[in-house]
Amino acid sequence: MIEITRLVKSFGSLNVLKGMEMRVEKGEIFSILGKSGSGKSVTLKCIVGLVVPDAGDIVVDSVRVDADDRKSLAAVRKKIGYLFQGGALYDSMTILDNLIFNLSRHRKMQRSEAADRSRHYLSLVGLKESLNKLPSELSGGMKKRAALARALVIEPEILLCDEPTTGLDPITSREISELIGSLHQQFHVTAIVVTHDILCAGILSDRAGVLDDGMLKYTGSIKELAAIQDEEVAGYFKSPLQ
Amino acid sequence: MKKFFASLYDLTSFSFRFFKEGAVPPYEIGEFAGHLENFGSRSLPLVSAIGLLMGLILALQTKPTFERFGAESFLPAMVAISVVRELGPVITALIVAGRVSGGIGAEIASMKVTEQIDALEVSSVDPYRYLVVPRVLAGIFALPLLTAYADLLSIIGAFIVMYVTGDMGWQLFTTSTLHSLSIADVVPGIAKTFVFGFIIAIVGSYFGFRAKGGTEGVGKAATSAVVFASFLVIVTDLVLVKIGILIFE
Repeated sequence: MIEITRLVKSFGSLNVLKGMEMRVEKGEIFSILGKSGSGKSVTLKCIVGLVVPDAGDIVVDSVRVDADDRKSLAAVRKKIGYLFQGGALYDSMTILDNLIFNLSRHRKMQRSEAADRSRHYLSLVGLKESLNKLPSELSGGMKKRAALARALVIEPEILLCDEPTTGLDPITSREISELIGSLHQQFHVTAIVVTHDILCAGILSDRAGVLDDGMLKYTGSIKELAAIQDEEVAGYFKSPLQ
Repeated sequence: MKKFFASLYDLTSFSFRFFKEGAVPPYEIGEFAGHLENFGSRSLPLVSAIGLLMGLILALQTKPTFERFGAESFLPAMVAISVVRELGPVITALIVAGRVSGGIGAEIASMKVTEQIDALEVSSVDPYRYLVVPRVLAGIFALPLLTAYADLLSIIGAFIVMYVTGDMGWQLFTTSTLHSLSIADVVPGIAKTFVFGFIIAIVGSYFGFRAKGGTEGVGKAATSAVVFASFLVIVTDLVLVKIGILIFE
């Protein structure tokens, strides 16, 4: 379970999070919807300790995230697979080595065992034929798949996805969303997906919330959100053809 | 000015962290070997050319003056002492700063702006230990070796000038060179290259870690790394020359 209480974060004079509250139950997929710059990615980075909040508490499976306490931070990070917005694949390594590196560091696994598991996860995301390619040789969709495999190869209890479909065409976006959904069904991870793509949120989420003005407003299922009479929320559900 | 001193303070803290982090396992042996190759063997062609040219130019430039005073026999000693004490270490450091420091800055900056450093952190890897420590160690190991090699080539360059103009044979040249050099010339000359190697790698890493924005940030990091590393090499040289004189003279 992930619980965020009164989270505050500012960058200079810009107040991004103003007392955000959120609770995600074990095994649930929760989507955070919000405009660009609303603090969605900052929230995820606070959960893994990449950004230090100004105030508030984050508790992951009863462990408080504290950037100053290396031990507890390491314990939290061991549970988490993180899918970065741009993939963040190590560009000097092949796709296979990206996964092996992650496994050997995260789980202290021997190279041969790590290689076998990495190949398995790359085949799950449909990249069996691209093991020895460098990230620069892959398309946007393939990079996202490889990054997803890297996040999942450590078999995390929690998956954090930062804009998994940004920059992809609608067909690939749907494929990636469905892939995350099917992998969630297989591995039963708790997931937080940050997105402004309502299709992605609709495919994936058990529940979602709208992050606006530094606070999480209107949480509920996608159906419940769609019924809310608020211009801000309704904007996500408008078809681009309307 | 305030910004400059703030950066200098930041850089100093970043540099001191090396002594704390470098002593703690895990040691990134594979990374160190890779960076040693980048620092050392990939710099060899450039260092070879510049080393040889440095000796040729120095001998050609000073030969007429020495001839005017009838002191051509002192030319090997003059070249050897000035190259071993000063020109070899500083010119090699400046060449390597231009080639490697900018490269380190750009490489780490590019990792920073594409969130690869964040990905390392999330994977329980300390980015400082993984990215900075092996590069700095490679710099500390490689620069003295490159400098000794450049010194040797410079002396050979000076010999070529003397030989071609028919002023001196190999035996006389080497005897004159070896007799002119003492421990007080060689030790300070080589000792300061350890410091230069440290500066080149740490400054490149520092600007890489500080990078912001996209490709513009990467370019800025690379340029700042080269400029600041070269500047620091010269300033540090001034201090180390004085220390060398106090210890050895």
